[in-house]
Amino acid sequence: MPVLAFREALNQAMSEEMERDDRVFLMGEEVAEYDGAYKVSQGMLSRFGPRRVIDTPISEEGFAGIGIGAAMVGLRPIIEFMTFSFSLVAIDQIVNNAANVRYMSGGQFAVPIVFRGSSGMAGCLAATHSHRLEAWYAQIPGLTVVLPGTPADAKGLLKSAIRSDDPVVFIEHENLYGEKGEVPEGEHIVPIGKADIKRPGSDVTLITYSRSLKTTLAAAERLVDEGIDPEIIDLRTIRPLDIETLINSVVKTHRAVIIEEDWPYCGLGAGISDRITQAVFDELDAPIRRVASKDAPIPYNRAMEASMLPSVDRIVAQVKDVLYKK
Amino acid sequence: MDHPSIFPEFESEEEDGAAAGDLLVPIEVTMPKLSPTMESGVLAQWLVKIGDQVKEGDILADIETDKATMPMKAYDDGVVALLDRAVGDEVKLGERVLVLAKKGEDPKKIAEQLGGAKAGAKASPAPAEAQAHANGTSANGQGSSVPAAAEEVPVSIGGRVKSSPLARKIAAASQVDLHGIRGSGPGGRVIRSDVEQFIQTRGKAPAAMPATAAPSRSVAAERIPHTRMRKTIAQRMVEAKKVAPEIHVTVDIRVDAIVAIREQLNKQLAPAKIKLSLSDFVTKAVALSLRRHPGVNASYEPDAIVRHGEVNVGIAVALDGGLIVPVLRNADVLGLREIRQGSEALAEAARSGKLTPEQLSGGTFTISNLGMYGVRQFDAILNLPEVAILAVAAAEKRPVVVGDTLTVGTIMTVTLTADHRAVDGAMAAEFLRTLKGLLEEPASMLL
Repeated sequence: MPVLAFREALNQAMSEEMERDDRVFLMGEEVAEYDGAYKVSQGMLSRFGPRRVIDTPISEEGFAGIGIGAAMVGLRPIIEFMTFSFSLVAIDQIVNNAANVRYMSGGQFAVPIVFRGSSGMAGCLAATHSHRLEAWYAQIPGLTVVLPGTPADAKGLLKSAIRSDDPVVFIEHENLYGEKGEVPEGEHIVPIGKADIKRPGSDVTLITYSRSLKTTLAAAERLVDEGIDPEIIDLRTIRPLDIETLINSVVKTHRAVIIEEDWPYCGLGAGISDRITQAVFDELDAPIRRVASKDAPIPYNRAMEASMLPSVDRIVAQVKDVLYKK
Repeated sequence: MDHPSIFPEFESEEEDGAAAGDLLVPIEVTMPKLSPTMESGVLAQWLVKIGDQVKEGDILADIETDKATMPMKAYDDGVVALLDRAVGDEVKLGERVLVLAKKGEDPKKIAEQLGGAKAGAKASPAPAEAQAHANGTSANGQGSSVPAAAEEVPVSIGGRVKSSPLARKIAAASQVDLHGIRGSGPGGRVIRSDVEQFIQTRGKAPAAMPATAAPSRSVAAERIPHTRMRKTIAQRMVEAKKVAPEIHVTVDIRVDAIVAIREQLNKQLAPAKIKLSLSDFVTKAVALSLRRHPGVNASYEPDAIVRHGEVNVGIAVALDGGLIVPVLRNADVLGLREIRQGSEALAEAARSGKLTPEQLSGGTFTISNLGMYGVRQFDAILNLPEVAILAVAAAEKRPVVVGDTLTVGTIMTVTLTADHRAVDGAMAAEFLRTLKGLLEEPASMLL
């Protein structure tokens, strides 16, 4: 199986879908002439031409809205935000229009659109460019929210997202673009709404997604050394949530730690924790713990930024806590 | 949002501060002291519900104290906004039980603001726990007020055993009472491994045993969860045995004279439907003896012995599954008729659970009488902080030596248990000599 970088896997997904369906097009800042701010769309302009790979001005609200209009009349746009931090100026389009048009029109219009782009704390981007807004979007009925953690999932999930008849918020992590991994060629589809058990285990359920998957896998090595057998679940899609997989795991391990890069208060883990507690309260032998970003703006300083992130140490500490181990 | 509140707890992994609303100052009603010795009360019954208009003096709930079931009154007017506790919950003194909205306050807003957020204001048990209780796996109300046993019992707040949901589930399935399990989790939380270990080491509950294990003739053991009263008795008896070095002094009292007088008096009192018992004479004689021996009518305190001014005689009353000691006040100045009527009223109130705090407090000495069971002699355990208690056995015919002649007399053996920290052997003996004198020559009681 070929080994590709995460950005190459995304490129492959978009290119294959554009080959397959001529209604699909890519639009965003620097996606064409510059080959993408993060080189995700490298070579796509020369391959598909300027009618299907379109540079926009710095006007997120405008081009998000154009994408939604195009989707309503039958096209399948991929709208790239250079970073999801910039999606904040387009959030009215995403929430009020993309998420609600099908409902408000009584089903007369569908909005088959993908909003994708980078996000997260990626090294000295400072407070306004490091946002992790997944919990915001995950709260909105009408949206599908996907956060892949591996190159293979990036490809398979992006293809599913493009084929979806409803709006998908597809949040990549800037620090993952260079990650390499085996990616199946051709028709590789990963279903939306299905979590992936990355490591089966019996002692504790570790629930994570996106870049935190990497940290969690690293933490697992430490845990195994200490005789703890964790089960690691990569959510991949956070809306709709694959609650069934989570419940099956918690029923087995009786404890859970959620690892997320977003803020703790009203963060994604809070919602997931609630769902688990509602479903299988009696199976829990310890409170569900969360390892999230700390509750503060993201600092520019590299060392301070690192201290905000879920780390192996913080994960191990919380796992021991729910296992009542010193 | 104010800037500082963006960082409520920088280190916190978990939920941070929620938004505060307008400042409301409702009336938070806490567990009152309804008996002199209670440290907590069990909510026996709510007599109000949310939304009820309450006036000062209205009864809000029935509270089971260590002594009796007492009404809890409102001291303010208001509208019931929040009931913090469920029936069966044990609530420590001073912990909030309910909240009243004052005039002009919105009860709903208050409920939102105060509901569950306040420390010590525990919401009613979660459904799963309620289920466990319903299954009889745990009686509510672990006496958190038992300091002596604190290291033995799981930490509990408001009578709850802290336990993980899974631990409760396993305990319920195995019919194990969580109250008996020591929790190894934070704050004494009982977790799965604690329950599993308990089941392994103590053996399974009868229901879970293989049928072949039990001989067919045997009757299954019955498990009776402790009542509040049982716990109080256990605590107080252990405490007495632990702190007080006791001495026992026994004396035989010939009561033929009393028996004769009693017969005579009862004839006179028959129209009034009063029937004196031997105990009434004993009570009277004890009260008079106490007046003459103030060192026995006393309490022991760490830095002093308190000789009480009043002679208030506690009379132990046996109840189903326990006993209680109501107090006959100023017994030394009461006539026999008043002693009889007073004792009867107290016993009646004790059996119907209607004793008032006043009837349960202020005792300076206790009499425990097992005469009606034909007991020859027994020792009682001190009712601290009182320094002495008298164990009264049956009056029975025994051979008696009078001069050099053997004859038959009615003899009652009494034993004084005294706290040697306060009462020396001689003092105990002197007290008994006085008592014996009064009972053997009842006319001296008139002096």
